[in-house]
Amino acid sequence: MKIKRIVAILFICLLMAPAVLVAQGGKESGAAPAQAVAEKEMTKEELIAAAQKEGTLTVYSPSSRHSKVGDEFGAKYGIKVQVTQLKDVEMIEKVSKEAAANLDAADVVFVQDGGRIYTELLDTGYITSYTPMDLRSTIEQKYQNPLQVWDLCTKVFIYNSERWQQPITNVWELTEPKWKGLVQMKDPFGEGVNMNFLTMITKDEHAKALADAYKKLYGKDLVLTTKNAGYEWIKMFFQNGLLLGKSDTTIAEQIGAKGQANQWMALFTMNKLRTAKDKNLALAPSYNVEPFSGFYYPIYASIPSNSRSVNAAKLFIDYALSEEGYAAFNQLGDYSPNPALKNTEDPVSIQEWDKMLIYEDPEWCAEARADVEEFLSAIM
Amino acid sequence: MTVQYRLKSFFRKPHNIILFVLVLILSYLTLVPLLTMIIDTVTVHTAEARRLKLPVGTVTLSHWAKVLFDPASVSIFYKPLLNSLITSLGACAIALGFGGTFAWLVTRTNMKYKSLLSSLCIFPYIMPSWTLALAWYNIFKNSVVGGTPGIFTALTGIQAPNWFAYGPFPIALVTGLHYAPFAYIMIGGILRNMDANLEEAAMMLNTPRSRIITKITIPIVIPAVLSTFLLVFSSAMSSFAVPTFLGLPVRYQVLTTQLYRTMNGLNPGQGYSIAMIMILLGVSILAMNQKIIGLRKNYTTVTGKSSNIALVNLKKARTPVSIIVAVFLFSVSLLPLISFALESIILRPGDYSPSNITLQFWIGSAADNTMANSEPGLLLNPTLYRSLWNSIKLSLACSLCAGTVGFLAGYAIVRGRGKKLSDFVNNLAFFPYLMPSMAFSAIYLSMFSIQRGPIPALYGTFAILVLAGTVKYLPFASRSGINAMFQLSKEIEEAGVIMGIGWWKRMTRLVIPIQKSSFISGYLLPFTSCMRELSLFILLVTPANRVLTTLLFYYNEKGWNQYSNGINLLIVLIVILFNFFVNKVSGASIDKGIGG
Repeated sequence: MKIKRIVAILFICLLMAPAVLVAQGGKESGAAPAQAVAEKEMTKEELIAAAQKEGTLTVYSPSSRHSKVGDEFGAKYGIKVQVTQLKDVEMIEKVSKEAAANLDAADVVFVQDGGRIYTELLDTGYITSYTPMDLRSTIEQKYQNPLQVWDLCTKVFIYNSERWQQPITNVWELTEPKWKGLVQMKDPFGEGVNMNFLTMITKDEHAKALADAYKKLYGKDLVLTTKNAGYEWIKMFFQNGLLLGKSDTTIAEQIGAKGQANQWMALFTMNKLRTAKDKNLALAPSYNVEPFSGFYYPIYASIPSNSRSVNAAKLFIDYALSEEGYAAFNQLGDYSPNPALKNTEDPVSIQEWDKMLIYEDPEWCAEARADVEEFLSAIM
Repeated sequence: MTVQYRLKSFFRKPHNIILFVLVLILSYLTLVPLLTMIIDTVTVHTAEARRLKLPVGTVTLSHWAKVLFDPASVSIFYKPLLNSLITSLGACAIALGFGGTFAWLVTRTNMKYKSLLSSLCIFPYIMPSWTLALAWYNIFKNSVVGGTPGIFTALTGIQAPNWFAYGPFPIALVTGLHYAPFAYIMIGGILRNMDANLEEAAMMLNTPRSRIITKITIPIVIPAVLSTFLLVFSSAMSSFAVPTFLGLPVRYQVLTTQLYRTMNGLNPGQGYSIAMIMILLGVSILAMNQKIIGLRKNYTTVTGKSSNIALVNLKKARTPVSIIVAVFLFSVSLLPLISFALESIILRPGDYSPSNITLQFWIGSAADNTMANSEPGLLLNPTLYRSLWNSIKLSLACSLCAGTVGFLAGYAIVRGRGKKLSDFVNNLAFFPYLMPSMAFSAIYLSMFSIQRGPIPALYGTFAILVLAGTVKYLPFASRSGINAMFQLSKEIEEAGVIMGIGWWKRMTRLVIPIQKSSFISGYLLPFTSCMRELSLFILLVTPANRVLTTLLFYYNEKGWNQYSNGINLLIVLIVILFNFFVNKVSGASIDKGIGG
């Protein structure tokens, strides 16, 4: 009996010792030195030649449409492209583990949720930014730093337009009893960009704009029970029966269905307006709401430190930011940071949207999002 | 006695060898992830470094403090914990109630259509749990969420009350129904195989039926009830999809939704702490289980003798009971299937008129499906066939590995019962099930990313998927194995030993044939679970070994309901076909559990 136990314990110890070291080691050795992506600049021809020499490319993207783009790119340059679709949560986890172990995995990573990327992928050196040379002077700086933006997505206060006009001009109206239980939004804990938006409005400049908007609407100063007007609006907005949803698709169907007695309002992606007609939904976006009509967030294009085909990766990002490579995405709700590519479906340009919407600042989100998450947990 | 001699005598018993080998292998495969997770609960992660102003990897107790001893703990941990306990216990009650009653009806009464109903009964488990949740949502949703009215309201004009449509009640009910087949398989298995002598003896003494049930039948099925309780409780505790679907509209948080929030937000350390507490809860239930079973000496139901028990005659109630059971099973088993089929052929959601029906999502070319970004119809989609093949391969491999190891583990654990080593293996084989899938696979990704000693680098290979699936679903197989072995009287194997028959032959000629069906269910459960597993594999899958559920996930994300419903239907049909095939070949099946 005793011996059995000793033998068992001995073996476990023997086994565990290296295992524990290894599990730890795998983590720390993680910060493999990011391969210097920017050594010396190649000309486009040199880049193509170098990329073709590498021959293969693996792309991680949140969008299915990249498979088609990958095929077209492959046909054009003779490079074999594989595209894996991943949601932000899985993407960040997978890329950090793969980069930490320096595995032969992804070469281009399209990823959203700046708040998490900033600390988990950028600070750690797991991904690096790359901007095509010819676009460095034309793309706005805020779309180049800290990471090159590939796509900009808008989420706007969208209302049921069956029998109604735009019902609000000020976001504080949504905290009034009139809207109790009639506003929807995707669970901010389910998709990071929504949480980033809430985090953004707690930043001083936006909080101040909110306080001003309150005064403009009610003619008196906002009485704070929280840190600032941003938190105050979040609190009142959530406590006014905000209905949280699992997906923007469902939310669009729920607020847009015709024949409803109440007018609904929801904050979700403009993308869903494209299929509204096919689905028989009455949906329209709000414009010029004080102080914001919603938010927009970037999907970044980046090269992971473990890429084995850095040149092909650069070439692919070149392509993704070009008219040809972006064609599949040029639609309502998606905008290229490349000013040469005008949105073909939305009369409102991204420059105009920029004035109406809150833009995600990853550094601030990295800084303050944990506080907002905790705040939300407590009031929900 | 010398050490050498004692070692020799220890290793002379086959079950000791098995236990020993299992300890070696499982320690690496399950304890390393556990230790990694424990370390994760007390260190600073990259996501938290900025806020805590500490370098990554620093030891900190702040996660535990936040989860347990902070004003915020109530909303972060205690309330979700309470909610989890409520829904999980509710689910157990429902699963045991439905599954147990049905098991008794099938094995002990003359109810009609037994074999048909028995096959139908396992459908809810074959379907992903969220499908039933989604069905509930679509049927009972009320004006609180807006949109087109739910089917119930559309038909009756009555608005379902909130407590009925969302929150703890439907979560417990749906989860309970989803896991009711566990109860049926395990309890039914024992009832089918148990030594009827006891019941017969009681009958001869003119004991009333009710007394036989309470004094004989129920005590004998206690191990199965406890096993079911253990599995359902831990499954319900770790279920994520159902609470998100049905809890979100009323903001009903359980531990898993809270876990997801923290792990995928900026507080992963808190998430790991919550996960650890969930594991502890599960393990303590397992310990309780062992203790209760350990107190009773004997649960043997299969002995060398045999006899047949007379079935309870339901008399006048026979037809009504059969019909009620049939209608009930039809609505939880077949209706969702029919709805998948229907949803996969309609163009605009919610419109079921013939003009809106199309097969383009099944057999349309890419050009036909402009609505879904030119995705070819399911049956013309090469990606679908590749993923389908991968899924089947993977599920078969996992089921073979988990089933075999689970059988051996069950044999060795029961034969070595009461010894520390046996309990240890029992624990090792169980708790991977309690680990959150995402965290578990993330750790595997790191563990097998490079070669470590004799363990090769498995990243990107098919093997790592098989390994993860095997370890994660081993508990199903080992529980089946343990149950089967508990029932099997030692005397049968001893007879073989006396005759001088070797271990291998005793297994293949005695133990396995007698408890064949029970062991086979240990293979079928991992197969079924793997076929519809997503979160476990998503981090480990590379484009070359993509599985069907990743495709399903992708269509779901896109909101292309027709495609995702179609794939769901395919998954269910494949599992049913597989079950049918195994049934024909071996005579056993998942629903028969034991003694087919």
